[in-house]
Amino acid sequence: MSIIKMIGKAASGLAALALLSSPAFAEPAAYPVKVVTLVTHSSPGGGSDVFLREMSKHLGKYINATFVVENVQGGSGAKAMARVASAPADGSVFYATTPTYIYTSLMSKPQSTYKDMQPLVNFFLDSEVVFTRTDGPFKSMKDVIEHAKKERGKWGAANPASLERQAAEQLKRAAGVNAAIVTHEGGGDMMLNVMNGTLDIGIGEIQELRSQLDAGKIKLLATFNPERIPDKADVPTIKEVGYDVSLVKFRGLAGPKGLPDATAAIWDKAVKDVLNDPEYKKAYAAEVLVAKPIDHKEYPSFVNNFASTTEEFLKTTGAIK
Amino acid sequence: MATFWDIIHLLTETPIFFVAIIGLTWGIMGGALPGISASITMALVLPFTYAMDPAQAIALLACVYIGAEYGGSIPAILIRTPGTNSSAATVIDGYELNRQGRAGEALGISLMSGVVGSLFGLAMLILLTEPLSWLALAFTPASYFGLGILGLSVIASMSGGSLIKGLCAATVGLMISTVGTDPISGVTRFTFDIPDLIGGIEPVLVMVGLFALTELMSQSGSVGPAKLNASIRIKLPSWSMMNRLKRSQFIGCILGLFEGLTPGGGGSIAAFMSYNEARRWSKTPHLFGKGSEEGVAAPEAANNTVASTAMIPLLSFGIPSSNSTAVLLGGLLMHGLIPGPRLFEQSAQVIDSIYVGSFIAIIAQIGVGIIILPACIWLVNRPRHYRAGFIFALILSGIYTLNNSLFDLGIALGLGVVGYLMRLARFPVLPMILGVVLGHMVESSYRRSLVLSGGDLRVFLEDPIAVALLSLALVFIIFSLAREIRDARKAKLKEAHS
Repeated sequence: MSIIKMIGKAASGLAALALLSSPAFAEPAAYPVKVVTLVTHSSPGGGSDVFLREMSKHLGKYINATFVVENVQGGSGAKAMARVASAPADGSVFYATTPTYIYTSLMSKPQSTYKDMQPLVNFFLDSEVVFTRTDGPFKSMKDVIEHAKKERGKWGAANPASLERQAAEQLKRAAGVNAAIVTHEGGGDMMLNVMNGTLDIGIGEIQELRSQLDAGKIKLLATFNPERIPDKADVPTIKEVGYDVSLVKFRGLAGPKGLPDATAAIWDKAVKDVLNDPEYKKAYAAEVLVAKPIDHKEYPSFVNNFASTTEEFLKTTGAIK
Repeated sequence: MATFWDIIHLLTETPIFFVAIIGLTWGIMGGALPGISASITMALVLPFTYAMDPAQAIALLACVYIGAEYGGSIPAILIRTPGTNSSAATVIDGYELNRQGRAGEALGISLMSGVVGSLFGLAMLILLTEPLSWLALAFTPASYFGLGILGLSVIASMSGGSLIKGLCAATVGLMISTVGTDPISGVTRFTFDIPDLIGGIEPVLVMVGLFALTELMSQSGSVGPAKLNASIRIKLPSWSMMNRLKRSQFIGCILGLFEGLTPGGGGSIAAFMSYNEARRWSKTPHLFGKGSEEGVAAPEAANNTVASTAMIPLLSFGIPSSNSTAVLLGGLLMHGLIPGPRLFEQSAQVIDSIYVGSFIAIIAQIGVGIIILPACIWLVNRPRHYRAGFIFALILSGIYTLNNSLFDLGIALGLGVVGYLMRLARFPVLPMILGVVLGHMVESSYRRSLVLSGGDLRVFLEDPIAVALLSLALVFIIFSLAREIRDARKAKLKEAHS
């Protein structure tokens, strides 16, 4: 490739960008503000960051605004929540919600919590799965439970205050077994410990496992999703295995309180449209994200429901008073 | 595996050449700015890579990483401020050489040692990815605990004469590392309901406070020459010098190789340990801390090696071993590339351009260094009142950009005062920094091992790697103690004679 070609490429890239935000491309809905800032607590390249950046590439086709991603790191979301909660409620600032913001609100008690924000819309559910190494002794979820009944199980969860840990604790209780639940600092750390046999199983997001799954080094035993993952239809849910535990790791947006209904309604439609966008569909299907649009009327009760379940769980385990 | 001709083709292709040089230059600039770590430097260019060809985008990020790891040593030597966490060990002798008016020499040594380390790391990445990736798998939580303790054993020989004072400083460092979210239970500790403390105190704040701000304060309070260096020329090490540095660079390369493979460290542990080992195996150990060339060569070879070897677990398992490789992982994922064994088959072009881009960047590093370093030396040799203000502003703005937090500024300034008081009372600051850097890893791997074993301490004796590392640490501590006692006796004898 010559330098001229490279410049040409860059120029066409810029043109494509310009097209995305120009009304001539599709017919994006009119929006009260020109620039929408999407705030995430995740670092550049982290889970929510990648989600927002990928989504905002396609969102311009359905909402007439420019989308900017802002990383407000620090305090596991405490700073990002404070930033969004105090922003004007005109539809110009939103926060990428994941269960992390509920956990941080409950465990760290920051100045602004999830209660100071208004859940807007949901986009996806992440698939939480149980995995083990392919050449290990465990062939099914039953083997894992049996082992934990006879001896002591060693189960890994990616982060200390996380949905994965809650899943592990709940499964342990439902099955009535003896298992050490070992928390880690990130999925990579845990993956090594599953692969070298330190842990029987790991519980994590399917996105983080893709490379090892593709390579056949690890296999999925079950999913904590309420239903089977469309892409991995042969993997049973924990419920089907016989334990009444299921969890939903949501990905959506929340904004400052008092957002006008008309603005929220624009999002209700845009979420459905963008999730049906063929280009975006291809991208998120590759990430094994399950589309789960929830509109602004139902999302607050969904999030509050999640929060109260989590709070109850954290209280029973003594993590909070 | 690509054929020879594929490589030649890539090498002569124009874009990859430009991508490598732009990435490297950007990386050096970012790395050289205090507070802008290698990972932030990479994250800043990430959005620009969206529209690029995947192979070039990833090569660009890899070159930025190489540049940033090198760039960190420039302020470490010139203004006693490590630009990145992993260049903290370079401060010790690099800044000492600068004070002796040998800044050009110190920068030349760090430049060439960086090149040696990077080339070694790249060779390992290209030739031994497969076998080395399995080494990364052998590390259990117990082994990490052993590694952390081995790192802490360095304190015994970095206490500058008083082991008691060294241990006090290290304990304070370890205490600082416990602030924030508990790594095992997720409960917050010692945060006093201050949201800025939930994430803990970042090591870079401690380093900048104790090294740079302390130095600025004590410079302001003393009368000295307004100009440090008459010459702004960069002096690349001669062959005989390179020959003398061979051993310390080798130590740096080997330790850097190991740290790159293992998650968590990001180069600072290897840098400190190689500094210590270089001193142990040096013919002139008494020069360390007083401006030893080897003391610059070892940590710089180590942290530059890490920039390449950290790619091994990333590319073969998709496991980022540091913040910087986590950004690179984000870049790969954004371009639809999933790291893992299949990446080497499916996207051989991407892998080749990482190799080729890195190679160009490493070689270009010499040229770029020679061009920009004289300007850097000139800049820090302005009259003192300008210089102090400039450095102060540079450091504080760097810290602020870390989290956009004024609270962080307060912490760094407070630690600057602590460092100044420690200097007055002759407490060594290095053990404290080491405590902050390693505390988290030691604590979390210790507790994780005990959760795994159900509280049984034998877990550390059943893991062969842990046993080896822990016994090595024990041997080091005993040797350091013996040396200290011997030195103390000698000093007494001298006193008696005189």
